Amino acid sequence: MSGLRRALVALGVLAFLLGILSAALVMTSDHASPRGLLLALVLAAGWSFAFTGLYAWDRRPGNSIGPLMTAAGFTWFFQALTASNNAWVFAIGILGQTLPFAILVHLLVSFPSGRLRTRLQAVAVSLAYLATGPLQLVWALFTDPTAQADCDGCPENPVLIGGAEGVAEAVNAIQVLGGCASIALAIWILYRNWRRSSATERRVLTPVLATGGTAFTILLMQLIVGELGASEAFKQVTFIASVAIFACLPFAFLLGLLRSRIGRAEEVSSALSAENEQLTAELEAKVEELRASRHRIVEAGYAERRRVERDLHDGAQQRLMALTMTLRLAREKLDADPAASAELLDEAMEELGAATAELREFARGIHPVVLSDRGLGAALSGLAERSPVPVEIAAAPAERLPTPVESAAYFVVAESLTNVARYAGAELATVRVERRNGALEVEVRDDGEGGADPESGTGLRGLADRVAALDGSLTVHSPDGGGTTVEARIPCA
Amino acid sequence: MPKSVLIVDDHPGFRASARRMLEASGYAVVGEAADGEAAIAAAGSLAPDLVLLDVQLPDIDGFEVAARLRGLDRAPEVVLTSSRDRADFGDAVAESPARGFIAKSELSGQALAELVG
Repeated sequence: MSGLRRALVALGVLAFLLGILSAALVMTSDHASPRGLLLALVLAAGWSFAFTGLYAWDRRPGNSIGPLMTAAGFTWFFQALTASNNAWVFAIGILGQTLPFAILVHLLVSFPSGRLRTRLQAVAVSLAYLATGPLQLVWALFTDPTAQADCDGCPENPVLIGGAEGVAEAVNAIQVLGGCASIALAIWILYRNWRRSSATERRVLTPVLATGGTAFTILLMQLIVGELGASEAFKQVTFIASVAIFACLPFAFLLGLLRSRIGRAEEVSSALSAENEQLTAELEAKVEELRASRHRIVEAGYAERRRVERDLHDGAQQRLMALTMTLRLAREKLDADPAASAELLDEAMEELGAATAELREFARGIHPVVLSDRGLGAALSGLAERSPVPVEIAAAPAERLPTPVESAAYFVVAESLTNVARYAGAELATVRVERRNGALEVEVRDDGEGGADPESGTGLRGLADRVAALDGSLTVHSPDGGGTTVEARIPCA
Repeated sequence: MPKSVLIVDDHPGFRASARRMLEASGYAVVGEAADGEAAIAAAGSLAPDLVLLDVQLPDIDGFEVAARLRGLDRAPEVVLTSSRDRADFGDAVAESPARGFIAKSELSGQALAELVG
């Protein structure tokens, strides 16, 4: 058991013993009336505040609501001391009997944090303590209980300063005014807190506000009506009502306090849920992006196949068709006109040479053999050699890299150089391919016109997807008149 | 009098080979066209007896060209040709008003003569 819990248990035992002592005092009192109701109030309010306060203290040690509730519980027992037949005990009871109301104001305006946050809260609480502390002391010094109408058989005041009855009345009036002002302020603060609170916070405030509001109303009635003079029956009813409500109040505090913990859990849960929603949205966006890029890659695959078919059809196939016809003609003329036939055969060989070159070029477009055989450096040199625009290879990796990385880098350079030749009007292109910071960085820069729109062509878009499939990125900078730079970054551990 | 022929194909290499083959086989090549619209215009002005018509043209396809040639005052006979097989076009060849189809790989004066006489 922790030190705090041991102390709390000790306080609990003390509260229990004080309750028993109170019962003895009340039941043996010569003047307490009605005894049953007084005892009921003291025990119900004292024990319930003390025990629920200790429980709250244990559950939320960092929150001062628990200690305040416990203090309220203990100060209720001052009421029992006023039942004592001993003058000194009676005097101490008189001194402390109004303290629970000040603590109640403190509890209500500082609920649920237990801290006073605004000046208004501090004023309300200070007024309450002033009226029930120092002013009560002054009042007690000048009040003769034996002279009070409702205090038959009360012991004499051992510290009475006689001959100044007017002082007691004046102090009492100030106390009532201060008490009323404090309660009115507290009600206003509670109402404002309620107005400003969220649905979750209201769940915490509701039980306390409802019970506390009722308790305050009864208290106000007792104060005002007590001053105006009221029937015994009315006093009895309000007294019973206050016993009931003060017995309920600590449970309302406890409920509110526990709900505030649940409320906090709900807030955390709500924050987590919001974060979760955001993550889900991000994930969905990512999935959508992946789906779109996958779709484009599949589309690009089909487009590539169509291009292969069309290139074959328009290129090598047409040459082979023409070749077939030339050979057929040559054969027909072989006997009748051998010279013409020989000429046709020469033509056919020339056509065959062109078809072969075209097929070779075509195959290289599908996959450059030099890339798989000799690596990126050699393949880039080949691209540079065949480019109609002069190309300077500023850097190229000497070592072999994973095939997809080499392939993506090669096609970025190939497509970029094709674009340079077609559109840039450049005099020089510079290619730089370097391995840096866990990635292969590819840069193709030209000194041409710039103004290229990366979104317009399918070539760069397809490349971007190809690079993105390897978790890389591709960017194009092409200011008007400032040349074009294509940069790709492909992760390559 | 030899049959007059218009060659329609977007590949100049093929047109040259076809012209030589047709002329060697006794046809009179009166013109060449590289796309569908040019083919219809040339057929209108040249009024050839025969149009050797590639199916895949850059603007409109050979079947469409064949249908529109059919509407000319002196509608020429049309023979479709392609580097693809006849089967690659499904029913389109049979449904076309063209006289027939000869794959480019089998194109010869004799094959043409068998089809159009």
